[in-house]
Amino acid sequence: MAILVEQLLNALALAGLLFLVSVGLSLVFGILRVVNFAHGVFYMLGAYLGFTAVAVSGWFWLSLVVVPPLVGVVGALLEASTLRFIYRRPPIYQLLLTFGLALILEESVRVIYGPTAKGIDPPPLLQGAVEIAGTFYPRYRLFLVVLGIVVGLGVWLFLQRTRTGLVIRAVAQNSEMADCLGANVGRVRTLVFGAACALAGLGGVAAGPMTTAYLGMGIGVIVDAFVVVVIGGLGSIGGSMAGSLIVGAAQTWGAFYLPETAMVIMYAVMGVILIFRPWGLFGEEE
Amino acid sequence: MRRRDFLKTAVAGGIGASLSGAYLQPAWAQNPIKIGLPTVLSGGNAQYGIQAKRACELFGKEINAKGGILGRPVEFIYEDTGSDPATAVRKAQKLVEKDGVKFLTGTVLSSEALAVSAKCPEWKVILMSTINGAGSLTAKAWNRYFFRVNTSGPMGARAVSLYLAEAPMKRFFGLGSDYAWGRDSVASFSTQITAAKKEVVGKDYPPVGTKDFASYIGKIKQSKAEACYMALPGQDATIFFKQAFQFGLTREVKLVTEILELENMKAVGEAMAGTIGSTRYPFTVDTPKNRDFVKRFHAMHGVYPDMFDGETYEGLEWLAQVIQKVGTADDVEKVIDAWEDSSYEGLEGPFFMRKCDHQAVQPGFVVEAVKDPNYPHLIPKILATYPGERVTPKCRTEEFA
Repeated sequence: MAILVEQLLNALALAGLLFLVSVGLSLVFGILRVVNFAHGVFYMLGAYLGFTAVAVSGWFWLSLVVVPPLVGVVGALLEASTLRFIYRRPPIYQLLLTFGLALILEESVRVIYGPTAKGIDPPPLLQGAVEIAGTFYPRYRLFLVVLGIVVGLGVWLFLQRTRTGLVIRAVAQNSEMADCLGANVGRVRTLVFGAACALAGLGGVAAGPMTTAYLGMGIGVIVDAFVVVVIGGLGSIGGSMAGSLIVGAAQTWGAFYLPETAMVIMYAVMGVILIFRPWGLFGEEE
Repeated sequence: MRRRDFLKTAVAGGIGASLSGAYLQPAWAQNPIKIGLPTVLSGGNAQYGIQAKRACELFGKEINAKGGILGRPVEFIYEDTGSDPATAVRKAQKLVEKDGVKFLTGTVLSSEALAVSAKCPEWKVILMSTINGAGSLTAKAWNRYFFRVNTSGPMGARAVSLYLAEAPMKRFFGLGSDYAWGRDSVASFSTQITAAKKEVVGKDYPPVGTKDFASYIGKIKQSKAEACYMALPGQDATIFFKQAFQFGLTREVKLVTEILELENMKAVGEAMAGTIGSTRYPFTVDTPKNRDFVKRFHAMHGVYPDMFDGETYEGLEWLAQVIQKVGTADDVEKVIDAWEDSSYEGLEGPFFMRKCDHQAVQPGFVVEAVKDPNYPHLIPKILATYPGERVTPKCRTEEFA
């Protein structure tokens, strides 16, 4: 029983983290029609800036609030200065551009922070473990579960219940029509891109105490995030959530029960879904 | 003055100037001895390439201040392979064909070293490993142009096994990264620990780049092992240590690692205190030569030397000693012959280059990560030192007598 509970929590904590990264990737594709290869690097940027914020202020909670908007601003500036000019070109241009941005950002981080990983301690409130069903479980991981759920609900409510959310959904559905109706499509795109980067940055700050901040963490997470988005459906928040749960469970349970095939399981699930529902579990057929 | 006369004077003057220059500075009149490093300078493995580079910078500065090797200055050329074997071969080829280097070093991943080493007989250049761990480099895949100055993976595993054979712990878990080095190390460890009448109660191979070790930590706890032997590469190890501490694993299980790196200790911090493991080169080794090296290194770079800082420096010093002895840096065959069966006084103790597989026989260490108020981070405290004969495998194998 204790093992089952622990495995369940492991899957949920990883899913929480994956969701923070994949929801932005999914939104950017749904609204901008861009496969953003640089998305993972914003996650890494969040982790490194989080490290700096904790080192300077000594306060993890502050970094959790301050860093994501900062990463968002960096993202929005990059969108406005590069991506904006090539939306009309074939998708390969955008892929190459974001790939280039990913390399530039990653190397910039290396130049500034050096190659050594940066350790970040959880805040005092989240250190140590709590007893759940006869097993001691780290508090910090429980926090990741909660964070994933809260952010998921928040993004969903924002898109469904606010005016800006309405405009964003309109642009996602038909950007030309939305443009004709007076929506500022260019600004919406910048906003969405920045918000997606901010979410990735939030994921990075949250990941810091669990994985440390290190070079290559962005590339590592982007692969998982792509799988999540393919499984869940591009552009769907519910899909990102479902995809994160499936990938989180496949990775943690796979590693526990079928270690030799842990990596294969995740891709096998993705393969099956691509065959039977190429648009993903929650995506819409185009 | 007519144009022709001007040219004559200028040419004569030029020749005169260069001749007098040659007499004034005989040392620099000759071509530099070039050493090429197809190494990793970007991405997650850059820390190892940077260690190699730091060692080269210190060595280059010191040897050139003393007049170089055979009166020729030493020059290093760095190329970034991005951790990719195919790129490593391409960059190595560029170094050999375009820059004309006769000596390559600084390869970071064993997969890169295997790929480059396979080309060396064709290029007729030496590849000197100061980082690469895979046992096969001096066994199945060995060729005459490959030299390994550093402690190999099997040698590290051997030192730890010798130490644990005498330790009170009886039940072990093996955790190795899912590629050649991790699997080889766990296999080698299992064989040796079973021979010492101890038990391996579980084994697992997490993929490279694993960011969540919760499942593995759960399994290690469940196995009731007293110690966990791990062979995880730098970044994976950092993450594992962090999470093991958060799950409280370190209170129940002693962590033993195939390599205990300074980089890990810096990133993980005190959560890593008490971890034991082997090391390629511990900067805390107490020999006069090493104490002096650490001081010079720290003066130049502002940090304490990590494993491959020390190993690379030793490799360069040894190579220089061989070139000096043989009297040429251009005849690679002669350098190889002279290096075989030669001795060198390294930072950690005596080194000997075996002729049969070009593996440097050298002392093996088991260290523990401990806090020390004199240093800004944890340091490796030496628990045991084993002589080279006990930790070096049989010739051209990965097995021990």
